[in-house]
Amino acid sequence: MSRIIALILGLILLLAPLGLPPFAMTLLTEAVILGLFAMSLDLMFGYTRLVSFGHAAAYGLGAYSCGWMLLNTDIPLLFAVFAAALLTGMIGLAVGWMCTLATGVSFSMLTLAFAQLLYAISFKWTSVTGGSDGLAGIPRTAGPFGFAALSSKAGFYYLALACLVGGFLVCRGLVRSPFGAVLRGIRENEAKTTALGYNTRLYKIAVVAIAYGLGGLAGALYAPFAGFANTELLFWLLSGQVLIMVIVGGAGTLVGPVLGAAFFMFMEHQLSAWTEAWALYFGLIFIAFVLFAPHGIWGLATGRFRRASERH
Amino acid sequence: MSTLALLLTQTVNALSQSALLFFLGVGLTLIFGLMRIVNFAHGALYMLGAFVGYSLTHWTGNYWLALAGAPLAVGLFGTAFELTILRRLYRRDAHAFLMVTFGLALVVGEAVRLTWGPDALQVPAPAALAGVVFMLDEPFPVYRLFLVATGIVVAIAIWQFLERARLGLLIRATSQNADMANALGVDVRLIRSCVFGIGCGLAALGGVLAAPLVTASNGMAGTVIIDAFVIVIIGGMGSFLGSLIGALLIGFVQVFGNYYAPDFALAFMYLVMLAVLVMRPGGLLGKEA
Repeated sequence: MSRIIALILGLILLLAPLGLPPFAMTLLTEAVILGLFAMSLDLMFGYTRLVSFGHAAAYGLGAYSCGWMLLNTDIPLLFAVFAAALLTGMIGLAVGWMCTLATGVSFSMLTLAFAQLLYAISFKWTSVTGGSDGLAGIPRTAGPFGFAALSSKAGFYYLALACLVGGFLVCRGLVRSPFGAVLRGIRENEAKTTALGYNTRLYKIAVVAIAYGLGGLAGALYAPFAGFANTELLFWLLSGQVLIMVIVGGAGTLVGPVLGAAFFMFMEHQLSAWTEAWALYFGLIFIAFVLFAPHGIWGLATGRFRRASERH
Repeated sequence: MSTLALLLTQTVNALSQSALLFFLGVGLTLIFGLMRIVNFAHGALYMLGAFVGYSLTHWTGNYWLALAGAPLAVGLFGTAFELTILRRLYRRDAHAFLMVTFGLALVVGEAVRLTWGPDALQVPAPAALAGVVFMLDEPFPVYRLFLVATGIVVAIAIWQFLERARLGLLIRATSQNADMANALGVDVRLIRSCVFGIGCGLAALGGVLAAPLVTASNGMAGTVIIDAFVIVIIGGMGSFLGSLIGALLIGFVQVFGNYYAPDFALAFMYLVMLAVLVMRPGGLLGKEA
């Protein structure tokens, strides 16, 4: 059943630029980028139960490095995006090494500390990051290889969508592989997994690096999408928000967090159009979700279908 | 200004900053120690304390009433939140708390903005504390000395409460082993409600004390929540003494950092935290390895 939902969803996303007005396209593109970001965190949080309070670090690193390359060099968009993702993944390796020295809440706090350190640096290293103004006017350098289509609105949307789908396939492949089984082992009982002979720390470092790489890819897409990168992309508030997207969507499902991100975008947009106090209602909705829908949107949707198909 | 006078004023400045940070950190660490809840709303409740303090000062014309009333009001609010919402979640995964308190932070932050408006509000210090004293011939605000004194008094009061009072004993017992305490007839649910309320009240006390110094503003929640986390992490989650040490360390790092290397002050705080965690992942006095 979930395969059919995914197929319909995919078709809608593929055909969206044909029917949607430009403003809705902008929102949809952002939702796709945020979806990739939330999905990357799901590898850590949903599958390995590594609760990161600082995933904004990956997003911000990707955004700043991609933005810097596009502003200061002639590297075309496509390469800049992937180079930024690679760079973020490599930094993720170091972050993973450092943060996995601790476990539990201390791990979360180390990720937060690292993200806040980057936030502080982005404020002060003005020559590279633009300080509190951030990087503005980031171009979508098309490059020589006929990638010019990517700099258009619809073209960029397809690039983001391709990254989301590619990211999803990579993640799904990972969680279904023996590697993913070890990750779930760490989630359920790390001591037991260690006793079975797995070096769990190496697995955790690897998953942090992959999550950073994919999160960095999302950030790298955001910089040329929005045309700017600022310190807010590294702020803890974003880390909290992306964690909520994952939980509201349904942790440990990959698709759920993408829906969570879309829901987040949609609510933010709808509520802010309707009332100035959108954050108030937003907070209330989240609290209601935790209380009444612990498995998130994906849990609600698949639960209903499962019950429906059992009746037949 | 002589070097000695500079050093003295900066030290007292750092101590007063540490006092404010301590009110935040100790509430957070008490709540974590007892309930394993990372209370994301702590900064928002600190801000709420400052704004409630502002209103009470203006209605009654008396800062001292606000100083007593704001923590009480916010503490009761915290208890009500524990009774209605958190209580339903104890059997659930720890991330449910994270999300619920993050939601609470959003709600409180927005409610404050709607109630008191977006502008920063001035809370005047009471006349008795408004002046300056001279230390080594340098003027120094009395209010900061008052903060240091309050910090010392509150720290001793909490310490004695935890060590001597019956409720303090029950809190320590429940932190160590909630199931065992429950089996011995302690009403663990009641203890949790109390401690969450006390923790929120302490955050509000910090807020109302900070208000004359920094004005009550919408931005204050975001900055202090991270400071509070840093303190608690450095000291060790759940350790009372740890939160005191963490507050002192960060207070000095912030004040001296801002004076001698303003460009690196912010980064320096996080570097201290990273260094502590890499050496002792559970914090200086934490139990977790």
